[in-house]
Amino acid sequence: MSEPLIEAKDLCVRRQGGLVLDNVSLTLGERDFITLIGPNGAGKSVLLRHLLKLESPNSGTVKHRHGIRIGYVPERFQIDPTLPLPVRRFLTLNNNQSAEAVEALAVEANCAGLLDKPLANLSGGELQRVLLARALSSNPHVLMLDEPAQNLDVSGQLQFYRLIDELYEKRNLSVLMVSHDLHMVMSSTRQVVCLFHHICCSGAPDSVARDPEFVQMFGAEMAQMMAVYQHSHAHDHTHDHDHAHLHEIKP
Amino acid sequence: MMTPMLITTIALALLAGPLGCFVVWRRMAYFGDGLAHSALLGVAVGLIIGMSNQLGMLLVAVLFAIMLLWLRAQRLLATDTLLGILAHAALSLGFVAMALLGIEDAEVHDYLLGSLDSVTADMLVYVVLGCGISLGLLMRIWPGLLLMTSSEELAHAEGVPIRTYEFLLMLLLGVLVASAIQIVGILLITSLLIIPSSTARLFAKRPETMAIGGSVMAALCMLGGLPFATALDLPLGPAIVTLCVALFLAVLTGRLLVDRFKNSN
Repeated sequence: MSEPLIEAKDLCVRRQGGLVLDNVSLTLGERDFITLIGPNGAGKSVLLRHLLKLESPNSGTVKHRHGIRIGYVPERFQIDPTLPLPVRRFLTLNNNQSAEAVEALAVEANCAGLLDKPLANLSGGELQRVLLARALSSNPHVLMLDEPAQNLDVSGQLQFYRLIDELYEKRNLSVLMVSHDLHMVMSSTRQVVCLFHHICCSGAPDSVARDPEFVQMFGAEMAQMMAVYQHSHAHDHTHDHDHAHLHEIKP
Repeated sequence: MMTPMLITTIALALLAGPLGCFVVWRRMAYFGDGLAHSALLGVAVGLIIGMSNQLGMLLVAVLFAIMLLWLRAQRLLATDTLLGILAHAALSLGFVAMALLGIEDAEVHDYLLGSLDSVTADMLVYVVLGCGISLGLLMRIWPGLLLMTSSEELAHAEGVPIRTYEFLLMLLLGVLVASAIQIVGILLITSLLIIPSSTARLFAKRPETMAIGGSVMAALCMLGGLPFATALDLPLGPAIVTLCVALFLAVLTGRLLVDRFKNSN
């Protein structure tokens, strides 16, 4: 088994008296696709910032594999309209991307038509794709996204998550994403980590949906909806699927 | 007599263009004013410990920036409140010190509004050296500073030392203020940063165009301000800034006319 890309051990982070992260351990290996969910204020963004080593924890360690490259899409990005910055220039800022490389990245992140537009004029969805292109420019081992679709409408969200899926399939990278869009997360068959200051539960989406802690946090209704979604989803793709759980969680 | 003045103004304009852009983009106008307010205290400090005006002002500007950053990190008061306290503290201390040192009102007046007689060969060396080194440093950190201006978090994640860069930017502003204040004056120095780059913003499509445009605009106004002030016997700072505003209004009118023409077609 190869060395993990990012390994966090026993992270504790204290802010204004309270523990934001309480003994959190998380390992991201090659080709992992982890989605971090949890209610507002659960410490998801804080965890991401520590995994990026932007901040140091009160105790615990974060280890990066030597030479790791991480592409990051931040949660908030608001550019001052007085800064005249075309997308093309933004993508070459502080890195040595050639003109051809920028074109190729833009095609990959589905924003080739935006290259000559000012960054300040982009819509939420357009901006996310441009930020994705920038995150890909270092040819990263890991893509980290902090609630990348929160300002998009439903079809925009679908498209954006599909784009991430495509990139995961095409490129040899791992994905770690914070998301509020439970239904989107649950429809994929990857690993989900549920955080509320500590890690409540983790695993494949359907097993997480059955976890008592998840049910407690998001409510039985949500858990049931997840399970139903999983159920019909499984049929669509004719997976071999255990139907029993649907009845287990019925109130 | 005119040659040192010409060289000084061109050196100042070259630095004022790109620095002024960051003042506009990062909303640092009040910080620029604060630095300017501290300059009088800088002159007094220079007199007391026997340094040149420029070094005295630079020393006080650095202390000003350090105190602001430290106070801001305590998260007790908003940044503009802290700036207000520091700026006016420095300004009153400056006036008190000048009075105690027995400096005449006429000389203090020159610091406030700028003066034609202020440029000496001695000062020229400081200004050209200071602006030259600053411009070199600014060009080196330009891409990272620009990335950090578009998103501090992204820049941080990509390895830009954002705290260091922010301090360097403040330091460069301190150099510019210390170099330009005897020409433009404490009261108007911020306008030399803001108005030329805002004028360039009206036509610039890239950050570099805006920076160079800002330098050209600043140079035009300063070079035009000299004969303007000499001919009519005006204080130099207000003469230069009047030209800056006139140029801004002319370009603004042009821009609005072009927009209207485009829309009607």
